[in-house]
Amino acid sequence: MDNIVRNKNKFFKNNVTKKKKNKETKTKKITEFWKKSSNPVKASLVLMGIGHLKYKCFYKAIIYFMVEALMITYMISRGIDDVIGFFTLGVVKADAWARIEGDDSIIMLLMGIFSFIVITLFVVIYIQCIKDAYRLQLDYENGKKCKTFKKFIADFFDTKFHVTALSLPVIGVCIFNVLPIVFMILIAFTNYGGTIVPPELIDWVGVKNFQKLLVLSKFGPTFAKILKWNLLWAVLSTTLNYFAGLGLALLLNKKCVKGKAFWRAFPVLAYAIPGFITLLAFKFLFSYGGPINQIIVAQGGKAIGFLDLDAKISSRIIGLFVNCWISVPSIMLLATGHLSNMDKTLFEAAKIDGAGRFARFWKLTMPFMLFSTMPVLLGQFIGNFNNFGIFYFLRGGLYNKGYFLASDTDLLINWLYNLSIDNNYYCIGAAISLVIFIITSAISLFIYVKSPSYREEDTFQ
Amino acid sequence: MNKREKLDTFFTYVFLILIAFIFFFPCLWLILASFSKSGSIYSFKGFFPKSYSLQTFAKLFTDTRMYNYPRWFFNTLFIATGSCIIGTFLTIMTAYTMSRFEFKGRKTIMKSTMVLGMFPSFMGMIAVYLLMTQFGLINHLWGLILIYAAGAPMGYLTQKGFFDTIPKAIDEAAKIDGATNFQIFTKINLPLAKPMIVYTALTSFTWPWSDFILPKLLLKEKNLYTVAVGLMSLDETQFARFAAGSVFIALPIVVLYFCLVKNMVNGISEGAIKG
Amino acid sequence: MKRKLVAMLLLSSMLLTTVGCAKKGESVNADKGKGAAVFDGKIEKNVTIHVLENDTAIEKGYFKELIEAFNEKYKSKGIKAVDANMDQHSDLAKDGPYGYGPDVIYQANDVIMKYAKGKHILPLPVEQFDCYKQVPKVAWKAYETKVDGKTYTCGVPVNVQAPMLYYRKDLLPADWKEKWDENKDNIPDMVQSWKKMYQFSVERHKEDSTKYGYMKSINDMYFTSGFLFSYGGYIFGKNNTDTSDVGLSAKNSAKGARVVNQLASVMNEDCIDDTITTNAYSKLGDGSYFSTISTPDVYSTFVEELEKNYTGMSKSEAEKKAKENLVMTTLPTLPASGDLTDNSTKEIACKSMGGVNAYAISSYTKAPNASLLFVKFATEYKMIQKRAEMLGIAPARKDVAEKVGGVSKQIYKNLDNNDIVLMPSISAVSQIWTPGQTFFTDIAKDAYRKDSEKKYKEIGDYQKGLKEMCKQIEDAITTLK
Repeated sequence: MDNIVRNKNKFFKNNVTKKKKNKETKTKKITEFWKKSSNPVKASLVLMGIGHLKYKCFYKAIIYFMVEALMITYMISRGIDDVIGFFTLGVVKADAWARIEGDDSIIMLLMGIFSFIVITLFVVIYIQCIKDAYRLQLDYENGKKCKTFKKFIADFFDTKFHVTALSLPVIGVCIFNVLPIVFMILIAFTNYGGTIVPPELIDWVGVKNFQKLLVLSKFGPTFAKILKWNLLWAVLSTTLNYFAGLGLALLLNKKCVKGKAFWRAFPVLAYAIPGFITLLAFKFLFSYGGPINQIIVAQGGKAIGFLDLDAKISSRIIGLFVNCWISVPSIMLLATGHLSNMDKTLFEAAKIDGAGRFARFWKLTMPFMLFSTMPVLLGQFIGNFNNFGIFYFLRGGLYNKGYFLASDTDLLINWLYNLSIDNNYYCIGAAISLVIFIITSAISLFIYVKSPSYREEDTFQ
Repeated sequence: MNKREKLDTFFTYVFLILIAFIFFFPCLWLILASFSKSGSIYSFKGFFPKSYSLQTFAKLFTDTRMYNYPRWFFNTLFIATGSCIIGTFLTIMTAYTMSRFEFKGRKTIMKSTMVLGMFPSFMGMIAVYLLMTQFGLINHLWGLILIYAAGAPMGYLTQKGFFDTIPKAIDEAAKIDGATNFQIFTKINLPLAKPMIVYTALTSFTWPWSDFILPKLLLKEKNLYTVAVGLMSLDETQFARFAAGSVFIALPIVVLYFCLVKNMVNGISEGAIKG
Repeated sequence: MKRKLVAMLLLSSMLLTTVGCAKKGESVNADKGKGAAVFDGKIEKNVTIHVLENDTAIEKGYFKELIEAFNEKYKSKGIKAVDANMDQHSDLAKDGPYGYGPDVIYQANDVIMKYAKGKHILPLPVEQFDCYKQVPKVAWKAYETKVDGKTYTCGVPVNVQAPMLYYRKDLLPADWKEKWDENKDNIPDMVQSWKKMYQFSVERHKEDSTKYGYMKSINDMYFTSGFLFSYGGYIFGKNNTDTSDVGLSAKNSAKGARVVNQLASVMNEDCIDDTITTNAYSKLGDGSYFSTISTPDVYSTFVEELEKNYTGMSKSEAEKKAKENLVMTTLPTLPASGDLTDNSTKEIACKSMGGVNAYAISSYTKAPNASLLFVKFATEYKMIQKRAEMLGIAPARKDVAEKVGGVSKQIYKNLDNNDIVLMPSISAVSQIWTPGQTFFTDIAKDAYRKDSEKKYKEIGDYQKGLKEMCKQIEDAITTLK
């Protein structure tokens, strides 16, 4: 506990002083740079690598020069057009009948964002280059020599290991995750959708889509109802899945259980079958012609519509359990991995001290698991909040009374799908998803920042 | 063993059998359905078919004119293996770095990945598709591997949670002995993280294996279909084929599990080093 | 740094306005030559045409024969047609512009006309076609689109899709000629009139509780909407073009809804979800169901399932017997009163929703003239006849329909008589399915609710339900605009 408090204090102090210092030093540094830097370093501002050349750091000079050359080729070949295209979103309408190629607004938007990513990357390298050249100059004046190429490379496996390790993932995530998200956010500010899809030209419309959301009375009640159910669903299913998965892992971790691999194989089997197949299978099991109803009818009963129009409650419950069936195995696997990492000596000590089974669970296992799986718990929450498949497969193709283009089991994401993909209203869909996104991310970011696994990363060291 | 412990063991097994049943029964249903002779689910007696035959499995692999299951299977295997290897590598590396290194922007990255994961992903699918048309990667299995592998590090928080629980004291000891950070990662932490690596490998294998949205979007040619896309394209009258295909699709994951299972539990506490 | 960025942005935005102006000027000039100018008759040499056919045609081997015949004929010119090898439902508007679409597609009118809107398919010189006079006006009309006041035709109709009644001749009661053929025309009454079908279904189920007469999933809008049309309902006003007028509740369509409810009451709960849609093949085969509704292209699937149940004979014998006993015919007539249980005698024709499938040419093809050649070849008398024979489809060509006779002829006649209501060729049609499905599910479910819980008791209740459904569709269309 002491440790935590101390850390907290340190954290706050650091934060405040750092901010103040930063501002002052920044301006100071820049003026200092102008005064002291030599001409070759200044020349680096135009042609990267000159500074390095002057101070005999040839390999870096070549690398920086190549980077600039590549950047210029990119900008000339398409970069400039892409940046312009981002603002215009196209001016020539395509006409396939007349064989006019025209502008594809949506591609222009996308490639515009892409070019911004490239430019940002370049600016980062550019600043790095100037800083490095300046440092090199200072070192040179102090009689120090530039690092050898070998040392330079070796550093990437030691002191700069994090740069090496993170560069690939960051680039990948930027292109395939960040870019699509930025793209969708920007779509919310265009008129893309409905009849305005390529070859029609798309335009920026500002916040019009959001105004539409506010004004239209149709959206409000449905949004409120679905949001309520969505939150309930996310909380219920996350709790259910998490504790069921954790409980299963603990059960399998018991000393008295022989043949753990065998018992664990059953949930794994469930895990091995793709989710959509499981969902289709469950839908069939609960359908009117499915085996459950067949048995009920054979026993002389009346067929039950588990998932049909009036079955709000039963479909919701079935959804919860089917989701549990699908998610528990992976949580169990994960928890098993974590449990094996728990310090058993602590556990033994507690046992000797006479702590009961539940005390041990609540005081030792739970805090440890919560700490190490907090991100998973949050991930589960988000995953369940945005669980598209479950009700799409189990109970698709229904609109209930009192809902606008949605059924009473639909989650926000299903509604979004009905609105945007089914009906092609991408801009409205993007606007709604942005609203949802802001709500959910605010909630989970708050929880995450408050959580021990974010603030006190070394609790269990 | 006293009486209480015996009772405890008994109930543990009762629970286990119950759980095994809950998980196994729907699977069993699917497995038996795939061996159904009639080929239609509606001719079953209660839960299970009236008569069995191997015919559907034979058909699945030999009648490839319309539905080339073996081909789909190898496509999926290629994509899943590729993305599993690259994805696991990237994820573990990211998680480790984020757990062990202090550098500028670390907390920002942590917070922003957290938030990014929350965006409804299918909204971004349009962008992914368009991006791939621009890179000329439509109808390429490699294109899919690229996307799966690139997206994998987004889920690094799980693995980071694991690395956070490995004592840093070990690292510091190694550092004093003169090991570089790279060596500490490969020689010390990787072996300790085995259960986590297994988990990561399993999930990053399963995801492409069962995903059908992305391949549907990016693979236009029937020859390039993955099993999931292929199964979804089956005609509604082809139920037995669907069931057989679904059963067979689960096989590699089960095999992979049994290959990896022994690595799942020997973590740090049973390992060589004790804190 | 920030200021610099702003300056750069300003500069670039200034730049782009000038560029924009320049480009706009160009486009005005280039816009002059339009229409299907690409069909200049200069046939491209050494090209491969990717054709996207439907799965049935591929599965039954027709498509292979078609491309083989075509390739044989145009070998000397270096034109080759191949299977595009894509999903039959893939979206040309999405794939085409980036070069991943097929050259020639075969699809239903609602799909193809969706493409026409974005000019993703080319307008065709249809007068040149040898089938131009043979295909009825309605079918051509389904493929017309207006651009700048001019009318273009974007597809060449090949076959007509409409719901058909399937029944098992060998399941008729032995004494049907005495009891079930009042008009003595040697055709069982229950396949001629819905009223008799209703009575027969009640009787068959009463004799054996596992057996049913007519069975069909009610929630399928495509098949069920015909009952509304028969009593004056329509989808959109002005020949399915005016989306502000949703007419599914027009005139006496509530009567149609009640007929649907009455039919549901003689089935079982399976009609509420899509159980029957999937199990009809096997259940008709094993004799649980006497009849159902489906499109003509699944005839062979029904036959195959039936074959499996004829055990103890050779395969060819079983096939022969199955084909003999499985009858596909046009829909029975409906009582004008809209009540299947009363004694009125006046009957009206049962309308149905249908579609016309056609060939179209992608705007993104590199070989439009060669593709046109292919479409011409595929719609000639010879190939259409072969198609009709191999796939059991109803051709849109009059001469082939006459030659094949039977059901094809009837379907052709129904189309000509406007008894087949073609699916609207506008995109708003996608908004009708889910509301429709929900409404019909509710009606079907109502037949199995306890008397005290029933929602639909009088004709007015149906009218109200229909009105609500129309309102829902209208809302969906207008709100999102």
